[in-house]
Amino acid sequence: MMDLDPRHYEHVTINDGDIRNIVQSYLVHNCFNETAESFLACTGMKQPVDYLADMDKRKSIFRFALEGNALKAIELTEQLAPNLLEDNKDLHFDLLSLHFVNLICSRKCTEALEFAQTKLTPFGKVHKYVEKLEDFMALLAYEEPEKSPMFHLLSPDHRQNVADCLNRAILAHANLPCYSSMERLIQQATVVRQCLHQELGKDGPPPFSLKGFLKN
Amino acid sequence: MGGVEDDEPPSKRVKASTEDLRSPFDNSSRSVPISPLGGSMARPLLSQGKDDMIGSKGVIKKVEFVRIITKALYSLGYERSGAALEEESGICLHSSVVNLFRKQVLDGNWNESVLTLHKIGLSDESILKSASFLILERKFFELLEKDRVMDALKTLRSEITPLGIDKKRVHELSSCVVSPQQRLLLGFANLGIETSNSRLKLLEDLQKLFPPTVMIPERRLEHLVEQALSVQREACYLHNSLDNSLSLYTDHHCGKDQIPSCTVQVLQAHHDEVWFLQFSNNGKYLASSSNDRSVIIWEVHEDGELSLKHMLTGHQKPVLMVAWSPDDFQLLTSGMEEAVRRWDVRTGDCIHVYEKGGLGLISCGWFPDGRQIFSGATDKSTCLWDLDGKEVESWKGQRTTRTSDMAVTKDGRWIISICRETAILLVDREAKLEKLIEEDQTITSFSLSGDDNFLLLNLVNQEIHLWSIKDDPVCVTRYRGHKRSRFLIRSCFGGYKQAFIASGSEDSQVYIWHRGTGDLIKALPGHSGAVNCVSWNPADPHMLASASDDHTIRIWGLNRAHLKCKEAYSNGVADQCNGKGQ
Repeated sequence: MMDLDPRHYEHVTINDGDIRNIVQSYLVHNCFNETAESFLACTGMKQPVDYLADMDKRKSIFRFALEGNALKAIELTEQLAPNLLEDNKDLHFDLLSLHFVNLICSRKCTEALEFAQTKLTPFGKVHKYVEKLEDFMALLAYEEPEKSPMFHLLSPDHRQNVADCLNRAILAHANLPCYSSMERLIQQATVVRQCLHQELGKDGPPPFSLKGFLKN
Repeated sequence: MGGVEDDEPPSKRVKASTEDLRSPFDNSSRSVPISPLGGSMARPLLSQGKDDMIGSKGVIKKVEFVRIITKALYSLGYERSGAALEEESGICLHSSVVNLFRKQVLDGNWNESVLTLHKIGLSDESILKSASFLILERKFFELLEKDRVMDALKTLRSEITPLGIDKKRVHELSSCVVSPQQRLLLGFANLGIETSNSRLKLLEDLQKLFPPTVMIPERRLEHLVEQALSVQREACYLHNSLDNSLSLYTDHHCGKDQIPSCTVQVLQAHHDEVWFLQFSNNGKYLASSSNDRSVIIWEVHEDGELSLKHMLTGHQKPVLMVAWSPDDFQLLTSGMEEAVRRWDVRTGDCIHVYEKGGLGLISCGWFPDGRQIFSGATDKSTCLWDLDGKEVESWKGQRTTRTSDMAVTKDGRWIISICRETAILLVDREAKLEKLIEEDQTITSFSLSGDDNFLLLNLVNQEIHLWSIKDDPVCVTRYRGHKRSRFLIRSCFGGYKQAFIASGSEDSQVYIWHRGTGDLIKALPGHSGAVNCVSWNPADPHMLASASDDHTIRIWGLNRAHLKCKEAYSNGVADQCNGKGQ
């Protein structure tokens, strides 16, 4: 179902260079370094030299975080971007708690307890972490944490979230955009459509659906 | 009490008791049925039908009665007496299983106590779980105290969490493992010092979970006695004493000796008729106003004597009424169709004079916040001032010219005034509601009860009516007996919980009625002129003041001779002593 008459936008010209930038930004954001390299080669675009080296490191940090190997991710982050975690306490907490969750899931209770006491409880002095801390500590009470009310803390989705946050923080630290332009464009389209829909109601275009758009 | 011992051959009973009533601490676990009497021993007693009940009305179960007495003995610390009663009566306080359970809890044998818990025979799963939770939680904390953190964690994971109840608490316990501050927050620090006390507390908490037949509630006997005393006090018709202690030996019953009825002091300082008087809110002062244009502030001393503190002069006309500020530091006085004055009670100085150009003011009063005052004027209007004299509001019309009583409820919400000769208007300032009280006769004065829920009206036809004004106004009681034909006579609430009504009268007597029933209790002679106004000390139910045309004020109190006798029979039943009972 085409939601808007193509004749409305066919006369809008797009610069090919812009499109290439969009693609490249996506590849860089998600650390597809090999693809990014060959894309650069094919299109003849220019990039700063150490760009790709950093991307490599960022990629492995992201991977470790996604797997739940938070300690390794932290170590490498410290190397790549010192003080980043100090300036991002929320992120630091999230990463440390990933490790905690890892220990819980491997049923290493004593270690988990010790780790919590040394690394996590200091955060409890700040009010906003208290509730989060309580949620994580509650996991200790369950022999089968997957069946506890806090099971969402063990899920891959949660890990993905934390990994994404870390990725964005590292990019920001390097003064690079934290969001790929592709993401932003789609978000933009969605918001604009929403506004129009709200204002014009039935007469305006329907809310943006990426799936629907792609099907056509 | 039922005579079991008469019917049964003694030997049979003794044998039964030594066999079955073993030491409560015998750990040999023979499974015992639920009955608190420990099984086979129960039968000889229960089979005698009518011996189950004791007391003249036959509503008290003997077993229950003995058990709560036993419990009371133990609570008071009389261990041997308690044990002796259990043995002699053959009625166990607790079944042996329960005794075992109690001992295990007090000794801290947590795992065994949980097992015993399940043998008590409680059918309700949730009680079992809650009780287990409490015990295991206690075990958890004692382990943490001893720094056995992993053991505590293990208890939490394998014993407490699987109970599946109170998830919130489980999470709190989890936090306790990790951080000692949490333990403090939950009040579980320093367990070591008070272990035995806190285990007793645990037992009490457990007992609250169980049905009372299994474990008698703490202080049950005390509670029953307190209930009875409470009923007696409520039923005491003439109760007029602040003393809270009642004797258990006889039913509490006050006689008229608690009502102030003797003149204990005559205050002669005014030079003319005394028209109005009122005690301060805290009962430490009395203010009186007179036709001699003065107002006197009297101080009430600790021993009940009054002495003159200040004589306030300044009014050019007779003073109609006085009003104490809510904090008793200031006094308002209003002259007859003249001005209203505000005085400092401590120094006796006049701080402010309120006048309304061209009009005479005839009444005065305070708003409950103490920051605004109101006054009625001769043109039927009412003015509202702030303390500095700035007029805030004034409204007309809803008043009569002669009398100008006005009152404001303590929450500042309702303004009550006489709007017609025979009607009183209650206005809700916030909700803009109005209520009306209508009478057949002219209303001469009124007063508001301490709780703002009742209004006492004096009528021309020599009746005093009590109206409830909380919801729709309704007349609840009428009081008769006093005399009023020409003058303005005032009445008031007073005594313990304002259970009495007092009024002046033109026959020179002070009249006192029982508020609830309307019965006249006393008429007190003494004055030699019409009694215009009475005031009952809010802080002392035994002190009443009356103002009279004979220029004096009388202070009424208890008969001293009766009081001395009262100490011997500490229960208010002193009417029979000295032969002078009224």
